[in-house]
This record gives sequence, C-alpha cells and structure tokens, in this order.
Amino acid sequence: MLYTVALIGNPNVGKSVVFNNMVPGARQHVGNWPGKTVDKKFGKFSYRGTEIDVVDLPGTYSLTARAVDELIARNFIVEEKPDIVVNIVDASNIERNLYLTLLLLELNTNVVVALNMMDIADEKGYEIDVENLSERLGVPVIPIVATKKQGMDRLKDAILEAVKRKSVTETKITYGVEIEGLVDIIIRIINKDTGLAEKYPVRWMAIKLLEKDEDILEKIKGSTVEGEILKALA
Amino acid sequence: MSVQEVLGEDPEIVLADKRYEIISEILEMSLVRGRRKWSSSDMLDKVFLDKWLGIPVFLSFMWMLFTFAIETSGVYMTLVETWMGWLGGWFTWIGNEFVVSLIVDGVIGGLGGVLVFIPPIFFTFLGISILEDSGYMARAAFVVDRIMYKLGLHGRSFIPLLLGFGCNVPGIMACRSIEGENDRLVTILVNPLMSCGARLPVYVLVAGAFWSSTQASGVVWSMYLLGMVLAVVIAFLLRKTLLRGEPAPFIMELPPYRAPTLHGSVVHMWERGFLFLKKAGTYLLGAGILVWFLASFPMGAPIEQTYAGMIGHAVEPLLRPLGFDWRIGAALVFGLLAKEVVVEALIIIFAVEGEAAISATIAATLTPIQGLALMVFVLLYVPCIAVVATIKAETNSWKWTLFGPVYQTVLAWIMAYLVVVVGGAVL
Repeated sequence: MLYTVALIGNPNVGKSVVFNNMVPGARQHVGNWPGKTVDKKFGKFSYRGTEIDVVDLPGTYSLTARAVDELIARNFIVEEKPDIVVNIVDASNIERNLYLTLLLLELNTNVVVALNMMDIADEKGYEIDVENLSERLGVPVIPIVATKKQGMDRLKDAILEAVKRKSVTETKITYGVEIEGLVDIIIRIINKDTGLAEKYPVRWMAIKLLEKDEDILEKIKGSTVEGEILKALA
Repeated sequence: MSVQEVLGEDPEIVLADKRYEIISEILEMSLVRGRRKWSSSDMLDKVFLDKWLGIPVFLSFMWMLFTFAIETSGVYMTLVETWMGWLGGWFTWIGNEFVVSLIVDGVIGGLGGVLVFIPPIFFTFLGISILEDSGYMARAAFVVDRIMYKLGLHGRSFIPLLLGFGCNVPGIMACRSIEGENDRLVTILVNPLMSCGARLPVYVLVAGAFWSSTQASGVVWSMYLLGMVLAVVIAFLLRKTLLRGEPAPFIMELPPYRAPTLHGSVVHMWERGFLFLKKAGTYLLGAGILVWFLASFPMGAPIEQTYAGMIGHAVEPLLRPLGFDWRIGAALVFGLLAKEVVVEALIIIFAVEGEAAISATIAATLTPIQGLALMVFVLLYVPCIAVVATIKAETNSWKWTLFGPVYQTVLAWIMAYLVVVVGGAVL
C-alpha cells in the first residue's frame, strides 16, 4: 500500500528541511506544477515497511483563490486528496502560523501538525502545552527541531498512525452560532447535488462560498443547485 | 438572518477575524509567553528600525559603502590606468595613423577610460552585497518604506528602487510586482532617478578632479542621496496630481541577521559586475567607436567642426547658463547611449589620454561648483535609451515614455541651475 503525504506551511518555517530529513537525496525529484512555473518537489521514503510518497506544496500564508501558489496548494489537497497533510508550524510564530492550520481543518483533511523550531520558541520564552494544543485542534501535534533532526521519527510514527486511522474526525473548530447557521444552510443545499458533495469537502465549499471565493463559484457552475446557492448567498 | 447581516460587506475579512479570535482562544490555554530572552537580532533591530535612528543609521551605512568603495579602489584604478597606457603605446607599431587613432583614442582611450572605473563599481557592488547578505538591506527597505508610505507611496516600491542602484532596467521591470496601475506607473517613472552604476564613473571622475578621495566619497554619497530624495518628492507630486490613489500597505518579513560570507558576497558582486563587463565589451565598445568616428569626421577638420562638435554646438545655448560648453554638451548628448559614455566622450573630445589627464582637464575647464552641477545633471537628465525602451515596454504608452525623459531633463536643468546659482552665492 502506497500512501501520499503533502507537506504544507508558511514560507520560512523549515518545510524544505523537513522534506530533506524525510526523503533521501537520491529519491528527491523536482518538477513543475502542471502549467505553472512554481517548483514542485516530491519524493519517496519507506518507514517501518511502509512506502510513503511525499509532495512538498508551495509555502503559503493562506489558501485563497487569488495567488497562484495558494491555489496550487489547495487544489492539490481537494483534488488529489493526499492521505495525510503534514502542516509545518513555526512554533516561534505560532499565532500567525495557526491561521493556515485552521484553513486546513476546514478542508476536512487528515492533518498532522509538526510544531517546528521548538528551540527558537524556547529561546523566545514560549512554553507550549502541546497536548492541550492537540486536544483543542483535534489533530496530532508533534514538536520537532528539523534543523537538528529532532522529533523526526515521532513525526513519521504519527503519520503512520494517522494513515491507519484513516477516518477524519469532524473538526472541532466552529465559527459561532450565527456563521455556523449560514454554513449549515449552504451545506444543506450542496448536499442535494450528490455529485458536487462527493467531489469536494462540503463544509469547506460552504465557507468558501460565503467568502465569495471565485474559484469555488466557478466550480459550482452547472450544478443543479447553483441557482439555489446564489439565492441563499444574496 | 441573511448573509449580508451576519458577514457584512467583506465576508472574507469577517471570517479571517473570527479565525484569529479562535487562535487566540486556543493559545490562551496552550501557550505561556515567558520572559522573552533578548536575541542579538532583536537588539540590532531595536536600533536599526528605530523611528528616529533608522534613517541616520541607513545614511551612515551608505556613507561607509561609498567611502569603502572609493578609498579602496584608488590603487586598483591606477593599476588599470597603467595597463591601458602600455596597451595604447604598444599599438603604435601598426603605423597607419588612422587605425592607430581608432584603436588608441577610440577603443583604448574611450572604452579604457570607462574600464578604469571597474574597481569602484565592483567595490560598490561588493558593499551592497554585504549589506544585503547580512540582512540589513531588508531593514533599510522597512525604514524607508515608513517614510514613503506616509507620503502616499506604495510600500512595495522600495525594492524596485533599490534594484535601480545597480541598473534602472531591472528596477523598472521589477515594478511588475506592484499591484495597482497608478502605483506601478509612479514607481516606474521615478526609478531612473535612483543613481545606477553607470553614473558612478562620471561622479568618480568629476568629484576626483576637484576633491580629495575622502571628500569625493562624500560627494558621491550625496548624489545617491539626492536621487533618492528627489525620487520620493517626485513620486509624492505625481501621486497628488496625475496619478492619484490610496497606497496599499506592505507586509514584509525581515530575515534574521547573518554574518555575510566572503564567498557569497563575492558571488553576488560578480553577478552584478559581470553585467557591467558584458556591457563594456559590447555596447560601450561600440559607443566609443561611434563617438570617435563622430569626433574625427569630416576627416581632418578641427574638433569643433566635426560631427561631434556640431552636436555640441547645437545644444550649447541650452547648457550655457549651467556653465557647460559645447564639449560637455556633446558628451551629455552621447550619454543618452549609456551614462558611462559621457566619460568616454569627454576623453575623446578633449583628446587626452588616461584618467589623470582627463581629471586635470576637467579641473581646468570647470569650477568646482560647475563640476557639482554636471554631476547633478548627469544624475537626473534623460535616462539612457535602454531605460527609455524599458519604460515603453512596461507602460505600453508613448505618453508616459515621453513624459519620463522630459520631466527628468527639466528637473536636471533646474537642479543644476540651482547648484550654480546657490553655489555661486555661497562661495
């Protein structure tokens, strides 16, 4: 069985270092994303008898439809559906970095958070309660120091466990009664078109539609419920 | 409740706020911000990014840069000069007076006159590379951005302007990253005011003719400073008149400070310097020959009556008030090809050999104030044709392509005139 892992994170969080630590040099490849000039790095590694494909997604702060690299990253996640999305978080800039984490949770993917640069966070005087963070986010959180290769095995173990668990737990992140009420209305409409509902994460689509995301507005074109959705959004 | 009632005009921002709210809730429970240990990077930033100290620190780094470049390169310039002299002497074996004059006066005199400036150009690039590799340049961008933003300029403007120090062509091309058509146009139009590497030979030559090397580096520094100040002023004026609009804020990540490595900085210096060498070997060589040709024909005519002389005399009336005669006028016209060509043309037209001789000639022809005016004029007047072509390509508008050189030449004349008048009154 071959699993696919996607690495994602903000720029300058040590994503490449994590990639290099996981994938031996001889098994690394560099190409382009189809039709784009953005580099695509990918490779394979085996761990405890399991072969794992790794794809390094472009570094992004957000997942909007406006920037090419953000669109590449999110399209890979919703269309190629990797088994695991490893979100590299800079522990010393945790507040800003968790924004992307929340967006990934909206996507209803199997997320593992790798909390990198723990040494720098420590220097800054940050004390992070990893268990509590993991509890609140509802996903595994693994502290690592990628530059010193610390915590890499624990991260790989977490990936294997997450792969085997397979099922994605409903996210615990909610946006308050009012917004959630709107999200529910849109979700109900989307679910009437089973083709559309199976193609993309429904909750994510609903949220993006509320944000007037151009790419998603494009994707619902031709759906039987398009008119109804647009009416609800008006 | 309707979507509008809950999420307002911009739902994306409302949701983004909500997400940050959730993040702070989560972190309240799972993050303890202990007493922050001061890193050396924070300490440096405290000073370098300070509201009051930031600009003086930036200016002193620039001062150090030019002092380093000019003081260090003196010895090497003499060395290149000596080689050029030998090379010129060696070619006299050819015998044919016409060919010897083409090689010795046109190629070695003209092009060689520019090659002498390889050391200061390379040392300036080395200094800029060191400032960049250390992480300081990003802070400079931040500090200058604070002023530019207050004046209504797009924050992303500073990077293209900084690139303009090397060459305005990549500087103007880098304006593509600026969103907003008016923001982009403003940055393109003021970019040529940033003093590119091609103007350095003119400054070094003229400043060197009048002042000691320490004073000369101060003069060169003030040229760069004048270009930057005028770029900001002109941009501000354009923003208030022809190209109105609100600036967009600029978010920039400051890289940590790093000790620059010799290898890295030399590589960066070479990448930029190589472009100059390439230009010298092709374009400046051709320009030298062209100027020599125009200054030698009609054959046998005295220099005043050659084509170059005619060009010089045609523009002389305009330049008289600045104290420039027809010879400098002709050199300035040839400078449209590239600003280094001003030096080539001066050497060919004054018919002298070598940097020392041209220095002495300039000191004899101009007063120090007129010399200063010449530097200001060269800094500001019509950019070279490569820059004009780039402006055309990037704006796709003849109107702006014409506007740029015209306003620059008017500005150059006014500023040079001010130097002459104010300088004359003070001294």
